[in-house]
Amino acid sequence: MIEVLDKCIGCSKCVPACPFNAVSMVGKKAVINEACTLCGACVPACPVKAIVITREDPVHRDFSAFKGVWVFAEFEDTGRKGPKKIRKVTLELLSEGRKLADELGVELAAVVLAEKNRNYEKELGAYGADKVYLSENCEFSDYDTDIYSAVIAALVSKYKPEIFLFPATFTGRDLAPRIASLIYAGLTADCTGLSIKNGLLKQSRPAFGGNIMADILSPNSRPQMATVRPNVMKVSPPSDKTARLVKENINIPEGMRRVKVLEKKVAGYESADRIDCADIIVSGGRGMKSREKFNVLEELATLLGGMVGASRAAVDMGFKEKSRQVGQSGTTVSPKLYIACGISGAVQHLVGMKTSDIIIAINKDPNASIFSVAKYGVVADVHEIIGKLIDAVKKAKKIK
Amino acid sequence: MHIVVCVKQVPDSTEIKINPETGTLVRTGVPSIMNPYDHFALETALNLKKEHDARVTVVSMGPPQAKSVVQLGLALGADEGVLLSDKAFAGSDTWATSYALSLAINKLGKFSLVLCGMQAIDGDTAQVGPGVAQQLSIPQVTFCEEVKVNGKKAWVRKATDYGYAIAEVDMPVLLTMMMHKDFEARYPSFLDIFNSDQKPYHVWTAEDIGAKKEYLGLKGSPTQVDRIYPPEKGCETQMLTGAPGEIAQKIVDILKKENCLR
Amino acid sequence: MPSMDAVSRGLMLESLRNYARRRLPYDFLREKDRNNEFPAEVLAEMYDFSTLGVHLLLIPKEYGGIGAGTYDIYRVCEELARMDLGIATSVFATFLGTDPLKVGGTEEQKAKWMSKIAREKLLVAYAATEPDAGSDLVNLKTRAEHVVKNGEIDGYRITGNKQWISNGGVADLYAVLALAPGGPSWFLVEKGMKGFSANKHEDKHGIRLSNTAGLSLDNVFVPKENLIGMEEGNGLTEAQAVFGYTRLMVAAFGLGAGWSALETAVKYSQQRIQASSPLSEKQGYTHKLIVPNAVNLEASRAYIEEIAERLDAGERGLQTEGAIAKYSATEAGNKAAEDSIQALGGYGYTRDFPVEKIKRDVKITCIYEGTNEIMEMTIYRGRWQEHLKTRGEYYILKASEMEALHGENPDVGARASALALRTLAAVMEECRLNKLTRHQYITFKLGNFISMAETSAVFAKRASAAYSESVKFDTETWQAMSRIYARASALKIAVEGVSLVLGAAAESSLPSKINLAEIQSVQSGIMKDMDTVARKLKEVFKAR
Repeated sequence: MIEVLDKCIGCSKCVPACPFNAVSMVGKKAVINEACTLCGACVPACPVKAIVITREDPVHRDFSAFKGVWVFAEFEDTGRKGPKKIRKVTLELLSEGRKLADELGVELAAVVLAEKNRNYEKELGAYGADKVYLSENCEFSDYDTDIYSAVIAALVSKYKPEIFLFPATFTGRDLAPRIASLIYAGLTADCTGLSIKNGLLKQSRPAFGGNIMADILSPNSRPQMATVRPNVMKVSPPSDKTARLVKENINIPEGMRRVKVLEKKVAGYESADRIDCADIIVSGGRGMKSREKFNVLEELATLLGGMVGASRAAVDMGFKEKSRQVGQSGTTVSPKLYIACGISGAVQHLVGMKTSDIIIAINKDPNASIFSVAKYGVVADVHEIIGKLIDAVKKAKKIK
Repeated sequence: MHIVVCVKQVPDSTEIKINPETGTLVRTGVPSIMNPYDHFALETALNLKKEHDARVTVVSMGPPQAKSVVQLGLALGADEGVLLSDKAFAGSDTWATSYALSLAINKLGKFSLVLCGMQAIDGDTAQVGPGVAQQLSIPQVTFCEEVKVNGKKAWVRKATDYGYAIAEVDMPVLLTMMMHKDFEARYPSFLDIFNSDQKPYHVWTAEDIGAKKEYLGLKGSPTQVDRIYPPEKGCETQMLTGAPGEIAQKIVDILKKENCLR
Repeated sequence: MPSMDAVSRGLMLESLRNYARRRLPYDFLREKDRNNEFPAEVLAEMYDFSTLGVHLLLIPKEYGGIGAGTYDIYRVCEELARMDLGIATSVFATFLGTDPLKVGGTEEQKAKWMSKIAREKLLVAYAATEPDAGSDLVNLKTRAEHVVKNGEIDGYRITGNKQWISNGGVADLYAVLALAPGGPSWFLVEKGMKGFSANKHEDKHGIRLSNTAGLSLDNVFVPKENLIGMEEGNGLTEAQAVFGYTRLMVAAFGLGAGWSALETAVKYSQQRIQASSPLSEKQGYTHKLIVPNAVNLEASRAYIEEIAERLDAGERGLQTEGAIAKYSATEAGNKAAEDSIQALGGYGYTRDFPVEKIKRDVKITCIYEGTNEIMEMTIYRGRWQEHLKTRGEYYILKASEMEALHGENPDVGARASALALRTLAAVMEECRLNKLTRHQYITFKLGNFISMAETSAVFAKRASAAYSESVKFDTETWQAMSRIYARASALKIAVEGVSLVLGAAAESSLPSKINLAEIQSVQSGIMKDMDTVARKLKEVFKAR
């Protein structure tokens, strides 16, 4: 519930702050009308803190009105000319969201904030969305925490989804917690598995530094929010379905954008430098022993036309740069072939690579958990194998 | 200028231990450290303090022994320390934690900057920073690598999925910090630790910060842990055996079969 | 001085650990060890105010120091020993060198020198030992003669030789014990004083990063204000006064070095697969090479902590206790390092793993600050007095305390400890009746028994209380260790005590005075306890 306290001085700064024209001045006092979505955008605008939003007791809320699964649609922002492409992770989330929606028997919707619609209902529909909530505004072309969170919170208040998925990208990780905080919603970061348990969203993720899994529920708030990293979920094949478009007109008040981006620089985004774009990854861990020995993996990776990755331990020990770190705390990858060398396999590493098509693990310890996800395993000192393997690959490729 | 730094005590990630039989966390003998990202945020604040004559307050939430990270902050150069410690806070998720921290920060009075680590290494959620910013109704910039202050404005360089961005924002603002790879945590000298004991340090309860109990702790947290378990076995593994040369050949045969040799 | 709060202490230890992690990788230490080289730059950093300032621990607050308590010093010494015992020894020498000043110095002297040591980061050496005078300082040959000017004593001329002085070749300031006309006295000798020189750096078995050298004093003039206490003849009392405390530091060295080796072994044992399972799962390995050492080290830790707390609470002297702590911890540390080499097999015998170095290093703790044989003698002498004074009741009383503790907490081995103490009382009384203490060997063995029995009692007591910050094990394991230690103490004193007495006395009824049946019955459960300890060690020191 929202109320304007008597200490309102009638300065009317809150009026333009509202995205929904829900505030007007009556006499010398602000009055909130029924268009209010409780988004909270007016609260910081008040210089005397006269606008107060009190939320219901979290435990006794009625959730029957909350229906449907939503996915936040993120666009690429690579600085290239022309219309921005929908990021692949959005499609991954739609594919996963589809399964959840089907199990619950509800609709799947994508939320699109864009400068202009470019048949998004077609592309998003093809990957499973029944509906696309679209708001068009030139302010949306550059992501802004305040604008996006206020608008999305408003949409949530209006349409009441029960589940809301976000990509765990820099943008998603900036936006989702802000929204969750605003609307008192449970948010689980970096989920590696989503399913339905007794009508609730069961969110699985590694916990406690990534050595153990936890299932997390948000029984007492809606929507149940979760973020998922790119490459964790698989994209389903597209259909020729088109989603229903629901347009939402929202006015972005002046001054809402508080963070001014002066410059954007694209660096290290070329796919040749990106471990998550590699088809073949040769990855090394603590068992590589030293930086020098670790570098042997480069030769193997080059021979196979792949890239070298590293475990958190290997990065911590300085064997490889952080940008090549595979795992929950680094980059999640899903290549065709993943060769794990001297990696014991902490959970946080496993969840970051286990969707790879073929995993070959070489480790000294037969009990190493890396073998639990490997299709092929070798129990041996990795240093005894790598040299021979390089020779064998060269022979097979007829390289002298 | 007043800078508030939020820090968390976390188990040293390199020392996490799991009991293989029960699958539960082994807590004895695991040393605790200041979350490295928070450590970087603190150093950023202390550098700003040098340049701008700022006052730095360190705030943490945790059990009584989390005093350690607050005092570490004081020993490294912060001026005042606050530990939110109360049974009512126990089991708080990121929402409830943000709520409590934001009340504590408000209680501290005026501030220009709130600095947090981008995430904690024990949870990797990156949610508390934005949560606090929302509760304080101030803007946020996440994943900052560098911060400068000029008059009433903060200038930041932040990481994006594609590279980086430079942004400017009016203070007060909350920034979450992402350290560069060469960052090496500084540790205080014995004398600094000894002297830090004399600096202002407060322990605040839920009541002290005026927090509503229904938004705190396990019960007030919107997310609840349903089950903790060791990861399940993913697939059948075919073991390759033999002399190193034979194994290498077997691997090559697999690569050929799977079309991975080009 | 009382110790500081656990949080501040924890931060200091963390700073120290982090310094070691950053600056003292094994390859660096290995190189210095091979070259027999004193790492002057490391010491300079460790004394630097903004890096660590480790020397400030020993300087009272009023002179610009930190004024750490005994418990703090024990923890820091343990950590120093984990880094490198040579470096630890060098730091320790400064601690030790300031002690005569602290105990016997006048207010002016303390103000002047303590502040100077703090501010100017002086390396200090403690120069008592001579070629013919070790623990028998009465044979002191270094002389300090009066220099008279205008009918008054103006200063002293010191002549003599000192041997095996830690920091001997590198210190800025030396506390030198010399025989003045009024008796043994301490003098402050500064580097560069005329006639004063250091000999070559010794080529030692271990602690090769510590500078050890002899000193030559040839008619060295020191002004009279450098006589500590401004009064002659107090030298030996001042030397004795701090033994309770300095020996505790050496005890902490044994503890730290021993654990450092044993941790390496525990981690290695989880990775070394033999006959398809790791060594850490083989009882023949763990229960022989690992578990007993962990138990002995933790028992000595309990004892060190008890004495540190008593010193912090203001008790003075405690020389027998200091000796017990030093004796039990350094014997345990030495054995742990020895067994760690064995535990690593061929690897342990190479310099690629640190255990071989630790073994060479830790041996010194059995030798310096009084050899462990001197400790056995000191312990025996101290407690024999008590035995006579109380007419044999000393240990009977302690045994009753343990029986009472057993009533409160049956899980900490107090019953077995009580049996150890009762047996000890019986053995000592039998020695008195048969005048067996004329056999020096028996007195030294009594020192050993006393050390074990008392340590078992302290361990049981502490295992029953809320345990301290330093303990890495859970209550269950900590108590299992206490039980194992108490059982072994009771059995050893009974078996060896009877053998000594019967072997030396014409006739003795000792066997009838010892409740061997009960000592045997309390052994029950030892296998399960060792299994528990072996399992927990694996968890606490998990190999990565």
